[in-house]
Amino acid sequence: MRASPYTVARMSLRSAMAHRNLLYLLSLKELRTRYKKSVLGWAWSLFNPLSQMLIFSVIFLYVFKSPPPVGDPSGARNFPLYFLSGLLPFNFFSIGIGVSIAGVQGGSGLIKKVQFPHEHLVFSVIVAQFVTLMIEMAILTFAMLLIGNNMLPWLVPLAVVLTLLAMMTSGLALFLAGANVFYHDVNYLWSILSQILFYATPVIYDARTLDFAPLRVLANYGPTGSFITAIHNLAYDLRLPSYERLSELVILAFGTFAIGLWSFNRMSPRFAEEM
Amino acid sequence: MADVALVVDHVTKSFRLHKEKTNSLKQLIAGKARNRYDTFTALSDVTFDVREGEVFGVIGENGSGKSTLLKCMAGILQPNSGSVHVSKRMSALLELGAGFHPELSGRENVYLNAAILGMSRRGIAARFDEIVDFSGLENFIDAPVKTYSTGMYVRLAFAVAINVDPQLLIIDEILAVGDVTFQQKCLEKFVDFRNEGRTIILVTHAMNSVKDMCDRAIWLKHGVVTGEGDPAELVEAYTEMMLGDRARSADGSLRRGSGEIEIDRVEMFAGSSETPVKRFRTGEPVRLRLHYRTTRAVPKPVFGFEIESLGGATVTSPCTRDVGLIPDTVSGEGYVDVSMATVPLLPGTYDLHTSVTDFNRQHEYDIVHVALRFDVMTGKPYESGGLVTMSPQWTVA
Repeated sequence: MRASPYTVARMSLRSAMAHRNLLYLLSLKELRTRYKKSVLGWAWSLFNPLSQMLIFSVIFLYVFKSPPPVGDPSGARNFPLYFLSGLLPFNFFSIGIGVSIAGVQGGSGLIKKVQFPHEHLVFSVIVAQFVTLMIEMAILTFAMLLIGNNMLPWLVPLAVVLTLLAMMTSGLALFLAGANVFYHDVNYLWSILSQILFYATPVIYDARTLDFAPLRVLANYGPTGSFITAIHNLAYDLRLPSYERLSELVILAFGTFAIGLWSFNRMSPRFAEEM
Repeated sequence: MADVALVVDHVTKSFRLHKEKTNSLKQLIAGKARNRYDTFTALSDVTFDVREGEVFGVIGENGSGKSTLLKCMAGILQPNSGSVHVSKRMSALLELGAGFHPELSGRENVYLNAAILGMSRRGIAARFDEIVDFSGLENFIDAPVKTYSTGMYVRLAFAVAINVDPQLLIIDEILAVGDVTFQQKCLEKFVDFRNEGRTIILVTHAMNSVKDMCDRAIWLKHGVVTGEGDPAELVEAYTEMMLGDRARSADGSLRRGSGEIEIDRVEMFAGSSETPVKRFRTGEPVRLRLHYRTTRAVPKPVFGFEIESLGGATVTSPCTRDVGLIPDTVSGEGYVDVSMATVPLLPGTYDLHTSVTDFNRQHEYDIVHVALRFDVMTGKPYESGGLVTMSPQWTVA
């Protein structure tokens, strides 16, 4: 008797729900312990994207002397904020997955000694990273208002898109974190892959202005490219993404999440003896 | 028949012992990760059940599969075949404080640890005071646990574990942690649990706790159940097996030790009589004479004896070091006399074990299991139950 992927995923969601208290406390632990023993504490989570923004703005605006992307229909012309509105969600995606991989590996002491739903090691990281992202996006919204780009009407669809992004991130994080228990190469592979993805995603450029066709398609319709483009639409251009794009995001989010959860649950019973 | 709390049904668990660790994608892709491993069977076809409200022991040597069985019961490892059914709320104490985070405060860790052990937030909040009270760490509960001493850490972890309120508790050697006071506290808690009719599974090689606490036990040997039933008999058989390489002497006693000095005879005298006896009455003065013989001069030996009831309870276990009687060396033949003004043992049959060790009680020269079996007959005072009398004086007002 083998349970169908659907049943496995549903049962796993049910056990995850039953242990939501554990999820809440593990997420709280993630948030509380991240910046312990540092003077500036939480401010560090903002300095990193800000310094990246500064570096890329200098390169983009002064070294290459490129014009900033133009918001359509908002008419915004501000490279630093264009960059930041793409970087923050992308960082959530790439850091979330990296920390999840490390979190499951670092949870070996627990996995070998206690029975609990292992997926919470991943979910708690995603929740904590998502809380951070929300704070960062709130600051971004404020900065956008300062340059006269009124994001406020678009916050609800933006929240929906970010939630879909969190689902895709969770799915991929579950799969990679599970696989990493068996092959530690996954960890190293991800740090390279996430760098490649960064350049294949329209964070430092505008996908529409690309001449190189394969990259333009990837940047426009690749998984991360599509999400970041949709977020640019909402936060910078101030319009709804196309329905085709939104449908793609929904399929990506639910598909990746289901596959990730299913594969994780196939792998997790063997964690204790592999670690 | 009482309801069954846990069923282990034909459980087999084997591990792959990889000759080369192939945790690398390169080897996988290059096809070099061919299955170069040996299979080690830790458990083979283990079947037993634990009834509700009983204290169940699992005994066995190191490497007998005890820990694997425990992890299968706790749901941490999945058996290759067979299954484990648990019908009660279970808590498995494999390690105290698993998941404690050093940077978090005691309070935060209590919540986190209890959640890991499966408690709801409301459940934890309701028991929080009790947990802190049991740990005795009221003043430190908001300090990060990295500032705790090992003792404090263990106390807090145990307080959480015991307050998860399981109906079925699986304990792995847990009584071996902490100082004596703390162990006593744990023991009391387990006795409470037992008296409340909860089910306890004890995985240990502390034979005395199996004999004293368990209602039933299994003996695991190389992953196979080799005995099941009465704990006293199993422990006896197990101890005998463990002492297997040591000669069994003619009078039915078991002997082990390096043998430079041996107790070759024990005599017991009751009252002022000079004839050795094997029985006396409650309250009589008793003298023991342990005859020794050496093969070479032995420096600073410590002589001791132990009286054990047939039920397995140790009644007393004194030695010469307790009173500072340490001869510089002994050689040749001689005897050690012990006199006791009154022996408060109640009627029954008892076994006397003798021991000769070095000063540190580390090296065993000679340990004789059941050097003498003797009976105590009714004397004064008389009591209907128990092992010893405290000479109670009763008044009813």
